[in-house]
Amino acid sequence: MKIVVAYKWAANPQDASVAPNGAVDWSRAKYAVSEYDPVAIELARQLADATGAELIGVSVGEKQVASPMAKKAALSRGLDKLVLVADDALAGAGPVKFGLVLAEVIKGIGDVDLVLAGDSSIDVGQQTVPAVIAGALGWPTVSQVTKVSGTAGDLTVERNFQGGSQVLKATGPVVLSAAADAVTPRVPGMKDILAAGKKPAEEVPYSAPQLGSAVEVTGQSKLTLKARKGHLIDAADPAAAATTLVGALKATINL
Amino acid sequence: MDFSLTDEQQLLLDSLDELIARECTPDYVAKLDKEHRQPTEFRQAMHEAGFLGLGFPEEYGGTPVDATTLFLIAERVAKAGLNIGYGTELLSVLDILEFGSEEQKHQVLDELASGGCPFALAFTEPSAGSDSAAMKMTAVHQDGKVVFNGTKTLVTNAVGAKYLLTMAKNPDAEDPKRAFSMYLIPTDTPGISLSPIEKMLWRSATSSEIFYDDVTVDESCLVGKKGHGFVQLMKNFELERIMTATQSLGLAEAAFEDAATYAAQRHQFGQPIGNFQLIQEKLTDMSIKIENMKNIVYHSAWMVDNGKLDRIQASMCKRYCSMAAFEVADEAMQIYGGIGVTEGARVARLWRDIRGHRFGGGTDEIMVRIIGRQIVKDRS
Repeated sequence: MKIVVAYKWAANPQDASVAPNGAVDWSRAKYAVSEYDPVAIELARQLADATGAELIGVSVGEKQVASPMAKKAALSRGLDKLVLVADDALAGAGPVKFGLVLAEVIKGIGDVDLVLAGDSSIDVGQQTVPAVIAGALGWPTVSQVTKVSGTAGDLTVERNFQGGSQVLKATGPVVLSAAADAVTPRVPGMKDILAAGKKPAEEVPYSAPQLGSAVEVTGQSKLTLKARKGHLIDAADPAAAATTLVGALKATINL
Repeated sequence: MDFSLTDEQQLLLDSLDELIARECTPDYVAKLDKEHRQPTEFRQAMHEAGFLGLGFPEEYGGTPVDATTLFLIAERVAKAGLNIGYGTELLSVLDILEFGSEEQKHQVLDELASGGCPFALAFTEPSAGSDSAAMKMTAVHQDGKVVFNGTKTLVTNAVGAKYLLTMAKNPDAEDPKRAFSMYLIPTDTPGISLSPIEKMLWRSATSSEIFYDDVTVDESCLVGKKGHGFVQLMKNFELERIMTATQSLGLAEAAFEDAATYAAQRHQFGQPIGNFQLIQEKLTDMSIKIENMKNIVYHSAWMVDNGKLDRIQASMCKRYCSMAAFEVADEAMQIYGGIGVTEGARVARLWRDIRGHRFGGGTDEIMVRIIGRQIVKDRS
């Protein structure tokens, strides 16, 4: 069995600053394996350990995605090897381009039974890439996955959806995206980090996908917060204040 | 000089940050302080993530790393506001690794590898603090056994420790310099009783008075050579002093972060108090002191890794960081004003814990005695 985890080497927006005109300064943002991707890696690692499967990490992005630091950071999370596309031509690429390039990498690996991805990327957060990969590969996709078990061609997938959970059966290759809290990812220790430096990482050349049209970011602005109503309730009479508060809450949620 | 971290050090610190965010939250540390108990849960999490085995040989389940990495970890844990959360007993274990028998190495390192607290260093006595030669506890060797009598006090983390690494003297020794030996004694040996001491600081580490009443142990409890206790103890004292200094640094960084954030957000006279130059001067001097502490700690760590550390450097590092860290914490408290001493203000705990480092592990004054005498001696 061959499992692929698609992950992103992304800048953490917490360290970015936004100018009054909406321009984002990423210069102080620290790069890391995107926040929710370790959850997908952990989910995949557990399945790989249970089945003896090979676990391959794939990532595409600018040159730095293949830096020694980026490779060790990903491999220390439990991946067996990496296949990367690292090209500055991917700077600013959107989720569709990323997804199509990732799909090509997965095709190149060959005989992949399962692709896992994180819930969303920390920097863009569109939750689109897994669907693009699945579309390009012609495979089904399932989101909000909390558990996966079984073997190639016979996978049992559990997922959350609004109001409950589902159990699904996958009888062929499939693309899954893990729920953000599916499992608690392990914290890499020094042994994992040292071992990461000895694991294989392959780079494949970038081949630009053909897109029929393009969408570009043409402007950015800070989030405009809605003005607060500032409705103060006089609590001189506590019972009356409580009644007023309950009434206001009911009105707010349209009861 | 290259102060940059290796990829491995950076990744390890990133991992530690994740672990701290999950297992060593500000609320957790505050609770430990309030309940006067050790960070058992965080320690277990550190163990499971492989941090407690760092610095030890692989044959004992450890992962060898350089001393700088160990000090960086200790700084990070202290920066989370947790005093004595990592490192103190780690370096004492070096005494066993260097001088202990194979059986003792396994006793201690197996315990450490399983996440337990292998031992507490029973050294200080009611009448022997800085004047360690005044130690009265006796160890009488007879018929293959050793009988201990005496009292130790202010023993850190003896509660829960499997062994007591005890210093005691042979009452019949002719040469007082060769009277002291080091012993590894199971804490549950009959005749040993612990009495925890309530205190105003270092509450996440227990302190105990320990009574040894005709405690009889097999002679194999001797660590290293009989009569070489002091020499052995001093061997790793220098590393412990750097570790103590590192903890002072981390705690001071926490106090600085709190104070700087408070200064930027607290409004008085219609503006943040951080706009006032008197507050800015405090923050500036605090920042410079932290930078100085980092320099002396990292330089000392480099000296350890290059076999160049001596007692003078270790003592200078310990004295400077203990005092500078307290100055930082004291100014942080001043920036907070009255709110700083209220329940829930972290700065109060940091202030208390940092204060303890001015005497814990060797007083400021003893450091002067070590450094000053050597400075004069070198020029005499």
